Amino acid sequence: MSAESKSAFASRKGWSHKRNQLFTMIVWAVGICTILFICGLLFLILQKGLPKLSLDFLYGLPSEIDPGGGIGPTLFNSFYVLIISLLISIPLGMSAGIYLAEFAPDNTFIGFVRICVEGLASVPSIIFGLFGIAIFVEVFQVGLTILGGAVSLAFLNLPVLTRVTEEAIRAVPSEMKNASFALGGTHLQTIRRVLIPVALNGIITGICLVAGRAFGESAVIILTAGVSTSGEMWDFSLFSPGATLAVHLWYVQSEAIVPDAAEIADKAAAVLVFVVLLINVLFRLPLLLHVRRTR
Amino acid sequence: MKTKWFKHTLLTVLAVAVAFGSVSAASAASKLNGKIVINGSSALLPLTLQAANEFKKKNPKVKISASAAGSVTGPQSVRKGIADIGACDWDASLDVPGFKAFDGQVANKVAVIPFAAVVNKGVKATNLTTKQLQGIFSGKIKNWKEVGGDDAEIVVVNRAFGSGTRVNFQMKALDGTNFMSKGDNYKEVKSSGDMKTAIETTPNAIGYIDLVYVTDKMRALNINSYAPTEANIISGKYTVWAYGYYMTKGKPTGAVKAFIEYVQSKEFQNGSLKKLKFIPISAMKN
Amino acid sequence: MLDVKASSGGGVAGELGRSLHTRSGRSFDRRTRLSFYNRTFKVICIASAIFVCLILFSILFLMGRTGMLTFNEVSVAEFFFSTEWVPENEQYGALVFISGTFVLTALTMLISVPISVLVAVFLAEMSPRWLRTLLRPVLDLLVGIPSVVYGFLGMTILIPVLRDITGTNIGDGLLAAAIVLTIMVLPTISRISDDAITAVPKKYRDASYALGASRFQTIVKVVLPAARSGIMYAGILGMARAIGETMAVVMVIGNTPQLASALFQPTAVLTSNIVMQIANVPFDSTWNYALYMMGFLLLLISLLMIVAIRMLQRKGAVS
Repeated sequence: MSAESKSAFASRKGWSHKRNQLFTMIVWAVGICTILFICGLLFLILQKGLPKLSLDFLYGLPSEIDPGGGIGPTLFNSFYVLIISLLISIPLGMSAGIYLAEFAPDNTFIGFVRICVEGLASVPSIIFGLFGIAIFVEVFQVGLTILGGAVSLAFLNLPVLTRVTEEAIRAVPSEMKNASFALGGTHLQTIRRVLIPVALNGIITGICLVAGRAFGESAVIILTAGVSTSGEMWDFSLFSPGATLAVHLWYVQSEAIVPDAAEIADKAAAVLVFVVLLINVLFRLPLLLHVRRTR
Repeated sequence: MKTKWFKHTLLTVLAVAVAFGSVSAASAASKLNGKIVINGSSALLPLTLQAANEFKKKNPKVKISASAAGSVTGPQSVRKGIADIGACDWDASLDVPGFKAFDGQVANKVAVIPFAAVVNKGVKATNLTTKQLQGIFSGKIKNWKEVGGDDAEIVVVNRAFGSGTRVNFQMKALDGTNFMSKGDNYKEVKSSGDMKTAIETTPNAIGYIDLVYVTDKMRALNINSYAPTEANIISGKYTVWAYGYYMTKGKPTGAVKAFIEYVQSKEFQNGSLKKLKFIPISAMKN
Repeated sequence: MLDVKASSGGGVAGELGRSLHTRSGRSFDRRTRLSFYNRTFKVICIASAIFVCLILFSILFLMGRTGMLTFNEVSVAEFFFSTEWVPENEQYGALVFISGTFVLTALTMLISVPISVLVAVFLAEMSPRWLRTLLRPVLDLLVGIPSVVYGFLGMTILIPVLRDITGTNIGDGLLAAAIVLTIMVLPTISRISDDAITAVPKKYRDASYALGASRFQTIVKVVLPAARSGIMYAGILGMARAIGETMAVVMVIGNTPQLASALFQPTAVLTSNIVMQIANVPFDSTWNYALYMMGFLLLLISLLMIVAIRMLQRKGAVS
């Protein structure tokens, strides 16, 4: 249709036509260039780092003086902190979301609660870091630990999970809910058997988003879990210092003194990007396929 | 089907995590006195890490984790209870200019740290006098050609306040002259590693760092015609050096004590410590 | 009738469920059990929701209380209007960081919003369908890339390039940080604006074309104004992200507490100064309090933005 309008007025309004064409060209150029540029940067990271990866690097201990250090403990910490933080934030966030979507009466107080959730979601991550320091280092005096990092990270994730759950459950068609009630289901049964399964797609997408964010989060971890690791693999202690891969990338790039810091940073960045992409693709792909099949 | 799968995974994950959590909590409690956390001076970090590696080989049950962010962080973390040992480039149990004494902390002398004024590889100047250094770091000398280099603006890289290297460099290389604090070609960095990266990657940059960090991408300058070598320091000709200390809360005990004793031992002082371009405490006469 | 009643809101549906289950229980035992579960579940849910609010308030309280202690030693005027941040001399003027944060954010928005809107227009209006279905998930993925990676890119690629192009010596500074932040917030802003533009009803465009408008006129005069509140929402979200971003900024801004008079002068912002110094300060010092006060400021700014978003949404709902 747009093509039609173009040709119809082309002869009469030459300037307008030219401007239109110019605009189209600019939009195409900017759109394509920007997206290619950003994707190119990511590709560059992956291409610089991935080919050089080896098992030794992924599994190895970080070194501070000699070349050849690995990222084993930091990679492990990344997942460990991520899992603990999700274990804390998923149940809390989901039940808060279910409350807002299902139980909450529609009054000013609940409106206020919603603003709180949104407000919390927009709080800069470094504030959660400061909060974590105040709680774990100043009050409980446990120092910089995996536990402190994970809990602070969970707080960071909580509001996002709450909102995602609320929205996903609200999006469930009311016919489904009514059908469940009509069959004699209680509210809890309805939520468990109908609402959550139907909303699962949205919730998992939300968890993915949060997991990716938590995996790459650095400011919170630097403040609450430190920039060092306990220096050994598979250290499950909750009270070890817990630098994650993202922190290690920053540390290696700007502070470390190993001669091969640049190479380690390249590889660490590639692993970081790769894992984040993997989390997103792995979790979403089955869901996407599933949606296609059921349609 | 799907919910069941989801539930099962969730349950498994939960169970595994709970198991791990309880196990690790228990093990942390039983090994508590076998864990050393070290923070503080980044100038001492290479030494600390090397010592930690060797110490761990001898005492496999002791866990040591070390990191660095600047000298004042060391005694500060010890006071906060974040760290057991705070590495510091000055004796933090006494008042020094700019820093109050940390009460109740014991200073354990571990090494002599030589500091060097360093420049980016591209800089031509090789020797600076105290006067010239003062001029550069206070912002009065702005171009390398004024001190025998090419016609290029000098980029000054300074350590942020709280650094022991900064305190010592100011006292001993600049005779107490104040640093500049603003300017187009002025940058502050947080740690020695940061300084190393900045000097390596910034053309025409000058900064200062302890000798162990000097790589082949930067050059250490002679100060008043003396190179920063062990011989020159012991003979007193090169004056920019300081003792490095491990600060502890009260007298060290247990694993911490054993570790500090290991660092002070002849074996380590004359072995790895020397290899890292530090100087054994026993070499100094005063 | 059931439909009408249920669709009028979640609260009503909840009532309905309760009334149904109380009548449907044949065995008394099962009924009490179910109602017990239901009630417990509801209590847990309420507790979680309250917990979320509680976190926000304890953060606000803690940051505010600790931050206010600053003013025991430092006057309000000095904190907000002095550029002298020299903690070793007990000078705590935060103007450098506050203005740094605002200037950096403004600069970021200046670069990122026009580009993002063009990208959004491209995605929503011009690209062929296959490209669109390919690019949207790609942008979604980009939103999740860790900020420290962008900082790393800025440090290793952008700064040397900037040094070469401009001939400056250091390269760190506001412009480098703004470019890094732009790359970071661009996917967010474009994707949300894209959604907003796609949501503009097709009849608007049809009407515009029918009046003889070109595509340029249609988009600029009809579609974009109609999607205005959505695009503003996207902009504010991007802004919130840019203001709160820490590590990506730390890596390229230079971290020197001086008022930037040029785009390439190392300077500092609120977030970068907090993260650089927090490890060095004793808990009970004015220095620490001043850092918390800076955090509190950040917190207030971000909460203000949420209020702005809320107002926008309300306006959007009315019109």
